Amino acid sequence: MEVVDHETPSLENGQTDKEVEENANVLQFMDSMDAYLTLIHSLSSTLRRGWLELASARHSMGASRVNTVLLDHTSHPAATSLLVTQDEGKVDSGKPHFTLCKWASSSNENSLLGEKQSSQDKLHPQLRHRGSTELYEEKTSSENKASREVDDPVQKERSKSLSMFGTLVSPKLRAAQLSFEAALETLVEIANMRSEMLCAFDQVNMKLAGRKDEK
Amino acid sequence: MYGFEAMTFNIHGGYLEAIVRGHRAGLLTAADYNNLCQCETLDDMKMHLSATEYGPYLQNEPSPLHTTTIVEKCTLKLVDEYKHMLCQATEPLSTFLEYITYGHMIDNVVLIVTGTLHERDVQELLEKCHPLGMFDSIATLAVAQNMRELYRLVLVDTPLAPYFSECITSEDLDDMNIEIMRNTLYKAYLEDFYKFCQKLGGATAEIMSDLLAFEADRRAVNITINSIGTELTRDDRRKLYSNFGLLYPYGHEELAVCEDIDQVRGAMEKYPPYQSIFSKLSYGESQMLDKAFYEEEVKRLCLAFEQQFHYGVFFAYMRLREQEIRNLMWISECVAQNQKSRVHDSVVFIF
Repeated sequence: MEVVDHETPSLENGQTDKEVEENANVLQFMDSMDAYLTLIHSLSSTLRRGWLELASARHSMGASRVNTVLLDHTSHPAATSLLVTQDEGKVDSGKPHFTLCKWASSSNENSLLGEKQSSQDKLHPQLRHRGSTELYEEKTSSENKASREVDDPVQKERSKSLSMFGTLVSPKLRAAQLSFEAALETLVEIANMRSEMLCAFDQVNMKLAGRKDEK
Repeated sequence: MYGFEAMTFNIHGGYLEAIVRGHRAGLLTAADYNNLCQCETLDDMKMHLSATEYGPYLQNEPSPLHTTTIVEKCTLKLVDEYKHMLCQATEPLSTFLEYITYGHMIDNVVLIVTGTLHERDVQELLEKCHPLGMFDSIATLAVAQNMRELYRLVLVDTPLAPYFSECITSEDLDDMNIEIMRNTLYKAYLEDFYKFCQKLGGATAEIMSDLLAFEADRRAVNITINSIGTELTRDDRRKLYSNFGLLYPYGHEELAVCEDIDQVRGAMEKYPPYQSIFSKLSYGESQMLDKAFYEEEVKRLCLAFEQQFHYGVFFAYMRLREQEIRNLMWISECVAQNQKSRVHDSVVFIF
């Protein structure tokens, strides 16, 4: 007669639900750490590119035009702000979430669409992007109309930020601006990924502590 | 009269022409640049530069060096050489030498006005001004609220006064007005310098016409490219182009309506000297355009030394030194940022 043990149900591979959950937590922690390290590396290369582009702009425009003494010390609203929220309705509700609000003087919808647009801008030189506005006019879908509406405010905000160096600046300075913008976005992603990683680490620690107590 | 300079030039200009040709021999060579490009740190660069004419200017600088320090000290050398030539020069060479510095004067005026608009300290701004463009009342620029006051309070007693007639308004100074003022002043300065050289006549007029025409054309291209996608209208853009040069007037008409770099290429490739410049670039690319223009400029400046008894050698020497300082700035930035693979992106060899 077989004795069936109902207290410790086992799966086909011999693991309990608890063990599966623990493995999932560890995997989540390792995935988030891998993503964190990848983002750190990406930030480093983006910043290197940005600094070299800034040096190139200074070489092109002259030291008197790209200079720290031209930075604006008048009080003015920030072009970009960071929103910190708590994730609600989740088990790990203590985890903060960071959102970048770029070009804050534009509408919320526009700024969110502008973030999408800026990620496209990273891949294409600014001149080519501006030159292709005629191509945008030929498209009729509502999504493209919305992105067209976003283009002008976002471009205006970008030009406004650069205007401390003059209104007619070199494309190299605009490229440097895009690189540092991408670096800022990466920094926010790093903050979110770090928050996730620490949360996953806490989960793993809790499970390990629980195991020790059981023993 | 052209062709007879050999009879009279050396009376007043012979000594200084010999001096400037001697200075030209001190420009860095390709071997010097190769050594500098292999430096690991800025102190290595200082060590290599100690064997050149820049040695005495850098020897007392403490470590760690900064890229701005190297540029400042190398610029000081240029300023010392210029001042020595200016104090030895008689008319009309002294006026010619002064004309060479008016561009820096315009840059300094715009720096002070822009910095003041941004509530920066005047002393801080004065430290960043180019030494070749300094004049006595430059600090008073910080007081002016609009261009009319700028002219009335300060610039009326400077060599830039005649260039202000086209941009005097009572509008308050803002970023766009300042940019238009900068380019309008520079346009007026180039045209005035061109007319002055034409008046001198002879080999000076011939050589300087070519060099200044190239400068005017390059400025037109840069204004066009930099204004794409900005609020500057086509009419305003056209007004910033100089009224001379190879591109005047038909090239300017085409450039004024360009909306991207490929249209600029289309307008410029109709002119053989610029076709060779744009042939080095791929379609849609503008990153290497600066270097292509600098290379062409250096070629023309070196050719100026092939002929004697004219003032073009002084202009050419000053410009070649400025190019050398730009090269040193770029190399030091690449070394400081550990990006030596990119060092040849912007270095223009002179010899």
